Amino acid sequence: MIPCLDAILVEPPQPVAFATAWAWQRGLQARLLSDPDGPEALLLLQHPPCYTLGRGGSERFLRFDPADPPAPLFRIDRGGEVTHHLPGQLVAYPVLALQRHGGDLHLYLRELEGAVLDVLQAVGLKGERKAGLTGVWLEGRKVAAIGVGARRWISQHGLALNVNCPLEGFGAIVPCGLSGHGVTRLSDWCPGLTTAQVQPLLRQALARRFGLRFRPPNPSEVTWQ
Amino acid sequence: MPALSSTMTEGKIVEWLKKPGDRVERGESVLVVESDKADMDVEAFQEGFLASVLLPSGGTAPVGETIGLIVETEAEIAAAQASAPAAPAAAPAAEPAPAPAVATASAAPAAASVAPPAPAPVAAPAPPVPAPVATPMPVAADGRLVATPRARKLAGQLGVALESLRGSGPRGRIQADDVERAAGQAASVPRVAEGSAPAVSAAAGAVASGNGSAAAAPAGQCFGNPGDTVAFNTLQAAVNRNMVASLAVPCFHVGYTITTDRLDAFAKSVKSKGVTMTALLAKAVGVVLARHPQVNASFSEAGMVYPPTINVAVAVAMDDGGLITPVLPTADRTDLYSLSRTWADLVARSRSKQLKPEEYSTGTFTLSNLGMFGVDRFDAILPPGTGAILAVAASRPAVVAGKDGSIAVKRQMQVNLTADHRVIYGTHAAAFLKDLAQLIETAPESLAL
Repeated sequence: MIPCLDAILVEPPQPVAFATAWAWQRGLQARLLSDPDGPEALLLLQHPPCYTLGRGGSERFLRFDPADPPAPLFRIDRGGEVTHHLPGQLVAYPVLALQRHGGDLHLYLRELEGAVLDVLQAVGLKGERKAGLTGVWLEGRKVAAIGVGARRWISQHGLALNVNCPLEGFGAIVPCGLSGHGVTRLSDWCPGLTTAQVQPLLRQALARRFGLRFRPPNPSEVTWQ
Repeated sequence: MPALSSTMTEGKIVEWLKKPGDRVERGESVLVVESDKADMDVEAFQEGFLASVLLPSGGTAPVGETIGLIVETEAEIAAAQASAPAAPAAAPAAEPAPAPAVATASAAPAAASVAPPAPAPVAAPAPPVPAPVATPMPVAADGRLVATPRARKLAGQLGVALESLRGSGPRGRIQADDVERAAGQAASVPRVAEGSAPAVSAAAGAVASGNGSAAAAPAGQCFGNPGDTVAFNTLQAAVNRNMVASLAVPCFHVGYTITTDRLDAFAKSVKSKGVTMTALLAKAVGVVLARHPQVNASFSEAGMVYPPTINVAVAVAMDDGGLITPVLPTADRTDLYSLSRTWADLVARSRSKQLKPEEYSTGTFTLSNLGMFGVDRFDAILPPGTGAILAVAASRPAVVAGKDGSIAVKRQMQVNLTADHRVIYGTHAAAFLKDLAQLIETAPESLAL
């Protein structure tokens, strides 16, 4: 697809605290809500260790006391169950006007999966979708988790792709509420692979999938930061 | 329950952001619905009061089901609450369909049987965002549904939920006419004439819409105001050129009636896997074209052109005029599930005008489907550069006489092939249709192989 939709790209060099990135997303979402023809945006970053839980998510998938979590725990406005973020994992938060992309939530989830599948293909791996289990899987183990929220069809949250992060932290939860499915990371399949190598692939895959033409934010657009 | 995706059949209420009795502003989020791994805030499209929550947080309901009632004034809250118990039955077996989203239902101003016309907004023909739809309930003061015996019988036959209708008879009584009108109302359902469900008859479509405000007939699509002359847009002008070009082609038509009970049953069984009727038909046509390459061929001055692949194009009407024919390449050799995904992607991108030329101009055979409107037959104009186009009408129950004299009710649809006689002759068209009918009638399951 020809990239044609104007989109702000934010790629902070350092990990960003979850609460900060969440506030950025809400700012961008509010921008798009008030200016429906305005630019879309993509946040592509990493988080310090934390856990997040969808609004409808169940605490029974936590293997720790929610009052005393091993890392900060956030209950957030997205779909899906608990997941874990940490450095070495790339998260992509597209703030898109989904009406420009078909106005179909499931289709959006499939496109997010598609972008990860494109990245995997670029590094020589064949990931897969599993019917009914949104996310991207490598030989039965989950490599990318997906959860989105939308208000008036403006999206926030998105996907998390494990690149070379330690996996121990996932032991404290039942990721996405799916017991019996392990998690994996790209570096187990492509030794030495780093987020610095994968980040451009993910950025390009999302640009292609959603027809976005990225640019840095204008000075007038950084007020949300 | 609003439809947040064409593949969404049910949704879960994560949270009601408002409590019964709360004031609701226009555009204010009322609840959060989750489907798959996606949450959506659902907003009120008119101001008023949340009178009643029919499906509590954590509950799951099929798309189209009434999940709550919003009334205009505080005074109506009690009345709506009194009538609310009638509502959960409103969509007993509503077949989920790619219907416009129905968010919260607006109760009739009074729950009494007088049922003055509710001032609630009519379902917009194409609400991109869930819009509230009035679902006035013709309940008597004691909460009973009032309908004539004939209306009840017809409702059963046509599969119309009486609870979703507004009666036009004395004191709001539902008449046979009301049921028939609701059954014939399917045309208001799809926002583009995209063939996702030829096998859904008009009646089923109307039920699925969950939009029973039969009195409010939606206006047809129109591009100008009375007295105007409106210039053709680029797409319309392109269609005009193609249609006029077809006048130089010696076309003829061959029709066939195909029984679809097995196809419908199969479609239902794979619907949860995201398979649409469009993908099924495209696959069926592709597979049969592989055995009838003459019907995939086209005319050129140099001779008959046999394309290297079978690319099935499907006509999609655009909301702002014109139509486009996204192409499912190698439909005969692509698996059904990939076809379905490709189709969903093509439709989404055609709506946002992001198709590349090769994605809509490389068809070797075209499908045009108006089945979802309940059309029983039509013929299509041949797109240039191809040899044939198949017009697919609605599948409807019909009384069918068997060879042995038996009589049965079966679902049947008419298809009508338009072909260029310079390349495709009557026998070619007939043999193709016979094979297509045989595949659809006896082995639709093979399409998934």
